[in-house]
Amino acid sequence: MTKISKTSTPETEQSSRRDFFRKTAAYSISAIAATTVLSPAKLLADDENIIHHTPWGTTLGDELNKNPYGLPSPYEHNVVRRTASLLSSAGDMHAAISLSPLAEMDGIITPNGLFFTRTHNGVAHIDPNKHRLMIHGMIDKPIVLTMDDIKKYPRESVIHFLECPSNGAAEWKAPQFNSLQFVKGMMSCTEWTGVRLKTILADLGVKPEAKWMLAEGGDGSEMSRTVPVEKVMDDAMIVYAMNGEALRAEQGYPIRLLLPGWEANLCVKWLKRLEFGDEPWYCKEETSKYTTLMPSGKAIQHFYPLEVNSIITSPCPEKPWTELKKGDIVEIEGLAWSGKGTVKLVDISFDGGKNWVEANLKGLVLPKAWTRFSYIYKYDGKPLLLQSRAMDDADDVQPTVNQEKAIIGVEGVYHRNAICTWEVKENGEVNNVQVRS
Amino acid sequence: MFKYDRKLITTGLVAILISSVSAFGYEGKKDALDGGMTYPRVNGDYTAYKINENIDKVKINNGRTPTANELKAWDRDIMPDGTGLPDGEGSVEDGDELYESLCAVCHGDFGAGGVGYPTLTGGDISSLTNQRTVPGKDAPKRTIGTYWPQASTLIWYTRDAMPYAHPKSLTNNELYAITAYLLAANGIKVDGQEMDDEFVLSKENFLKIEMPNKDGFYPDIDGKDGIENVRKFFADGKNYGAVGKRCMSNCKDPGMEDVEATVMGIDYELTDVKPPYNNTRNLPKVKKTNSHPGKEGYDKNCAVCHATDTMGAPRLGDSEAWAKITKQGLQKTMIHTIEGIGGMPPKGGNKDLTEWQIQLILDYMISNSK
Repeated sequence: MTKISKTSTPETEQSSRRDFFRKTAAYSISAIAATTVLSPAKLLADDENIIHHTPWGTTLGDELNKNPYGLPSPYEHNVVRRTASLLSSAGDMHAAISLSPLAEMDGIITPNGLFFTRTHNGVAHIDPNKHRLMIHGMIDKPIVLTMDDIKKYPRESVIHFLECPSNGAAEWKAPQFNSLQFVKGMMSCTEWTGVRLKTILADLGVKPEAKWMLAEGGDGSEMSRTVPVEKVMDDAMIVYAMNGEALRAEQGYPIRLLLPGWEANLCVKWLKRLEFGDEPWYCKEETSKYTTLMPSGKAIQHFYPLEVNSIITSPCPEKPWTELKKGDIVEIEGLAWSGKGTVKLVDISFDGGKNWVEANLKGLVLPKAWTRFSYIYKYDGKPLLLQSRAMDDADDVQPTVNQEKAIIGVEGVYHRNAICTWEVKENGEVNNVQVRS
Repeated sequence: MFKYDRKLITTGLVAILISSVSAFGYEGKKDALDGGMTYPRVNGDYTAYKINENIDKVKINNGRTPTANELKAWDRDIMPDGTGLPDGEGSVEDGDELYESLCAVCHGDFGAGGVGYPTLTGGDISSLTNQRTVPGKDAPKRTIGTYWPQASTLIWYTRDAMPYAHPKSLTNNELYAITAYLLAANGIKVDGQEMDDEFVLSKENFLKIEMPNKDGFYPDIDGKDGIENVRKFFADGKNYGAVGKRCMSNCKDPGMEDVEATVMGIDYELTDVKPPYNNTRNLPKVKKTNSHPGKEGYDKNCAVCHATDTMGAPRLGDSEAWAKITKQGLQKTMIHTIEGIGGMPPKGGNKDLTEWQIQLILDYMISNSK
């Protein structure tokens, strides 16, 4: 074990940010000059890729519609979801989870083929012509809707992340996976299109005593959960499209429930039935699972929102700084999100959480959506303990590992949102570590 | 009239100023049930989105009323108060037999756990306070007897989602029998009495089942205060670890001012990753795509156990295990597959498979296990 005190905050970051940028500008000019003077060998060697014609520049390409449904470049075939036996039952991949390759993803939108996937009884393939949604229980007017009926309602599109509350669950006791994909890949973010449940319910007369709604899926496990009606009336949706096309089968084709900011398992896939009632249902996935066991021996149930969280995506174990030279200017980039609201700010620490500086938010800043943050950094080759810490507009701040552990213990499984640490070694290698007692 | 508190007003002003310079240019209220924010839909805006507010003003009459039979077919959930319990009955003894043939393949003998599938029995409720960072402590045992709060969850889930590969195939009598067996195997009492082999479970005595960890969960979601209890729970971050503070320099965890925090690396790295990590950009190797006609049937019906060696099932590709089987001749292997053998139910649990399909599946499994 390394003592945290051995690393210190880089000098440039201790001074004010304006000062820092001024210095950076000066450094980069001198850095370019230095390269020109000091690396004559590099200037002399010709790049074959420039000197000679390329195969793709001297032949006729494919017919434009060879793939009527477009595919990624074949060179990108390693950018895929990944899973592990630990995340399944006995290596059986029908009730398991596969994780998004966050290190290879840009912006705040996850391509549909890379959206993380969790199933409880395999991926169901539903015929949309035969699919029905029944809404009944404590309402004046029970209804059955076909897919055509559902698509007749006015539609809305919103960008929200979905996250499994098990994201990072392997790491309560110690770091386990040396990759961003496995440390935080049980989440994705997409533009969802569908109808607000409130729009459908306006005509159905939900009775005042109806406090809960059962949502039930049509897959082999009939995956079901109880949802408070208050959330249903706030921002719940029934969605049928993601990123402009129909939901993927893995995401619940033809429809799933969307409860922005709440545990992804509550956003029931292959949705077939909504029942309103005055008492909760006690489904399997809100009792035996998805309950957080505390050191008292009692467990938190109905633990809905994914709390404020963040992770540095560059550098990370998959994207190390091994090719950087001292003096290189590099961007530290990451993702922040909160199921309780909107990301307000993100801080970065270089010394394992002793000292912090504020990063910049970048791109769209939307409620309950991934938000990018960015920090321009002059690499000096010294070892670092890189951390990010997000705060949302509900004024929640990410806890340290110790702060969270002091309350939840290490057996809670779900809702781990403690600050993550990447150890950047002298050679630029990046490892998953934890600063903790 | 009351006197304005100067300090309070100042604090309030500061708070308003802070929220009005939010980085993203829209405001919400911290009044959601989950302790978070809600955002208004006003003047054609919803946070950063433009919206058509007329959507919120109309009532749209789509769809049709479900028939009584349709409601009966789908409204089958089973609740803690007994709503939805089916007719029928089953004994612990019958459940034992059914469990052995249908469930043990994954959940192990007496529910003691298969290789990785959920353990259903055993352990002690006192284990729920275990923390594995304390030397000598095992993981808490979260089984039906030590953890599940409601028996209705067990019978509902078993009916709709089990057996794993063939959900919704149990009769009501089978369902009561398996439920009775699992409760008995967990030492659960009904109306103060232990359940012996002859015990028969039905709608009539179901509500007398005493689940040991019934009160092991919070907030209390039952009754008229259920929702308000949830709201109170989320209002205090200390209840669930939302205790982070924004400190900018010389930060130390509260209570750890004198302790030097250490950096914990990965002692035991989990590397069983599928597909294996690979960050290179190159052209994929061309794979043979000729699929065996028995592969699909295998994947659907057999892989659950034979992809690994769950409950002694010969694993696909294990040439030694399969040599022993093929030595008996194909005909005997067919008969065993159709009638079931060891932990395997007849036809692997899918009675709809034809003999021709089974032949194809066997051929696929044998030719891939040489």
